[in-house]
Amino acid sequence: MMAPAAQRFFANRGSLVGTVLICVLLAVVGLRPWLAAKDPAALDIDHGLTLRGAPLPPSMDAPLGTDDLGRDVWARIVAGAGSSLEIATLATLVALLLGLVFGLVAGYAGGWVDDALMRFVDLVLAFPFLLLAILLTALLRETKLASSTAPVVLTLGLVGWTTIARVVRGKAMSVSRSEMALAARALGASPTRVITRHVLPNIAGVVLVLAALGFAQNLLAESVLSYLGLGPATATWGRMLFEGRVYYRTAPWLVIAPGAAIIIAVVAFNLVGDGLRDAFDPRLRA
Amino acid sequence: MRAVALLLAVIACNTMDRGPREHAAGHVTPIDGGTLHYATKDSVRTLDPAIEFDEVSSYAVHALFDTLVDYAPAVRGDLASGHDLVPHLAARYEVSPDGLTYHFWLRDGVTFSDGTPVVAADFAFAFDRVLAMPASPFAAFLDDVVGARDVTAGRARRCAGITTPAPNELVIELARPNMAFLSVLTMSFATPLRPGPSDDERQHTALGTGPFVLASWDQGRRLILERNPRYWDAAAIHLDRLELTENVPRDTQFLMFERGELDAAERLSSPDYQWIMDRPDWAPYVQHRTVMNAFGSRMNVTRPPFDDRRVRQALNYAVDKDHELKLLDGAAVAAHGILPPGMFGRDDTLRPYPHDPAKARALLAEAGYPLGLDLDYVIMNDGEAARLAESLKSDLAEVGVRVRITTLSFATYVTAIGERGGPAFSKSSQLADFADPVDFLDVRFASTSIHDENSNNDSFYSNPELDRLLAAARAEPDRAARAAMYRRAERILYDDAPWIWEYHQDLTEVTQPYVAGYAIHPIWLRDFSRAWLDR
Repeated sequence: MMAPAAQRFFANRGSLVGTVLICVLLAVVGLRPWLAAKDPAALDIDHGLTLRGAPLPPSMDAPLGTDDLGRDVWARIVAGAGSSLEIATLATLVALLLGLVFGLVAGYAGGWVDDALMRFVDLVLAFPFLLLAILLTALLRETKLASSTAPVVLTLGLVGWTTIARVVRGKAMSVSRSEMALAARALGASPTRVITRHVLPNIAGVVLVLAALGFAQNLLAESVLSYLGLGPATATWGRMLFEGRVYYRTAPWLVIAPGAAIIIAVVAFNLVGDGLRDAFDPRLRA
Repeated sequence: MRAVALLLAVIACNTMDRGPREHAAGHVTPIDGGTLHYATKDSVRTLDPAIEFDEVSSYAVHALFDTLVDYAPAVRGDLASGHDLVPHLAARYEVSPDGLTYHFWLRDGVTFSDGTPVVAADFAFAFDRVLAMPASPFAAFLDDVVGARDVTAGRARRCAGITTPAPNELVIELARPNMAFLSVLTMSFATPLRPGPSDDERQHTALGTGPFVLASWDQGRRLILERNPRYWDAAAIHLDRLELTENVPRDTQFLMFERGELDAAERLSSPDYQWIMDRPDWAPYVQHRTVMNAFGSRMNVTRPPFDDRRVRQALNYAVDKDHELKLLDGAAVAAHGILPPGMFGRDDTLRPYPHDPAKARALLAEAGYPLGLDLDYVIMNDGEAARLAESLKSDLAEVGVRVRITTLSFATYVTAIGERGGPAFSKSSQLADFADPVDFLDVRFASTSIHDENSNNDSFYSNPELDRLLAAARAEPDRAARAAMYRRAERILYDDAPWIWEYHQDLTEVTQPYVAGYAIHPIWLRDFSRAWLDR
């Protein structure tokens, strides 16, 4: 089954471009010590700012210029790739875990369990995404986790799992009511075995698609939260955008660099997500 | 994705800058009428003159309430203006030769904005109220008045030293001379008040004698003042209305200003300031003024490691003031203490602590911290404060002091750093309430200014030698001798270093070309009451 899907995936130009971009991003993260020698957090007020205290434009020494504290923007973009991708990955994993557990249990069990779990999903979905995210981050920042990336990771995970849960539930319901699952149950298979041997393999494709699209959404959401001043203290792209926003007129590289990085990464993951969806669902092929 | 697109659209729109949209019409004599719009990044906390001590509340309170004496208005381009005391509600006053009796004769025909005449007893009521009110931070300023302590302690309801021999005469007797006393009376708490409203009502209502009356206040959003037709100096007031929008960040203020939605924008953020100073069509409308303030980082000297003077001195040596001045666009000067340049009694021969990391490290080692130490540093939520804190953090890291920055909202920050058990190390500042060293030295470093909460002396610094010196200086009639005492006081504080002395910052403000009759005031800062619109 995988072979034709992979073929279809790589035959799609969009997903190919997306894959290449993601490989480049991963290479940037992996090769960070060689790509950017400067410390992304090191201030250089003496030499990294003009005499009047303004950020320096791009030059040989600082290929993307310096920011308002004389820090090297390129070094921060590279460091930001690591932290932004890390946050999006962890948040997607949290969402996947929650979505799978809720979806599988609801879909397999059915009846009142399904009703209860799905009404809970509706409840979470009823809140506007951004409002809930802001509320959760603000609350989590008051806890011991405040200084790490945990508030953002947990927020995005807790806000983003509902779509996954719904899709997984539908799939799980149809697979678990199918004849093969019925046969397995008739042969005495436990629910765990039915879920792991029959349901999961059948929904792997759709979960992969949801993960890729959710990843892109998390990347963007992290930027939005950072832009609102609710992000982690490390150099993420959203935070750079937030800090650079007031300089859009005097030092536009402070918004263009992180803005472009966010756009490239989000487009890459969306392309891959779309490519995966097409590959796993041949009916959608043109 | 939508956020990014929106940002790009904003960039595209704003790179097409047009300069001022509307120019001055060129009238020579002031035009009456019109509304002036301005904004503040913080919020107005209260309208009660007995409570108000923050800058933003003072914008409203100073326009609503008037005092016996006040500072002369500031004049654009005249840096000496705004410092002289002039009679206001008092037509004239006399101070006895021993400096103990202040006799005021009230101006004829002054009324509250509802038309009731002002009598001397209204001042006595206001003073008694400040003394008896635990929430008022101003009782300490009246400490030298005969009988003031009895009212503060609850032993008397009326202050014995404040009498009204006639309805238009007010006499204040001091127990000991206080050279700053007339200056103290310029503070808004020394305004006449009529008995009646509860303390709670006074927080958001106002019946005063000032040039404006309160039209409406949607707390935290917008405060609207209207011209007081009964004002005693009505000819000097031209605007019909003042509209103050609250909680507008500085960069947003500037955007609103460019769109013509605001007539003035204060304390431009660094990029806006640099941008506008490069624009010949805008630069003439930017005002700079050295105002009386001091910025630094206060340390609670009762708590380790700040109880060791060597640590405090080490931190002073570690911070590179040049870094801070550069981040402030050069619109500031380095500080050696709390008294700002131009202040009477300041020791101009003292040099700020030099940037000397080696000496800082040696002092820290001597104090028992050869491996450095970890400190929490609290700032308020503001872009400029955050940049300066990063600079301080990086300077201190150089000498092995690892700093963790905590950001609080303005209101939380103000409350927290005035608590004895609050954060031990934070940004702090002093803006002049009146132009006398008393307002800086006594208010911030005398033992009498220490309280468990809302402590003006937020470094909890207590030094009997300094206390004696400040008390003597306050009562010293000879100007030269008094100045010499303040120079000694400055040296003590320089050595004891309860703060990291950092800088004195200029105030910048840009106004629309048609805003006339306005200059940044060295004490009141943004006082638009005498402005007019030349359009």
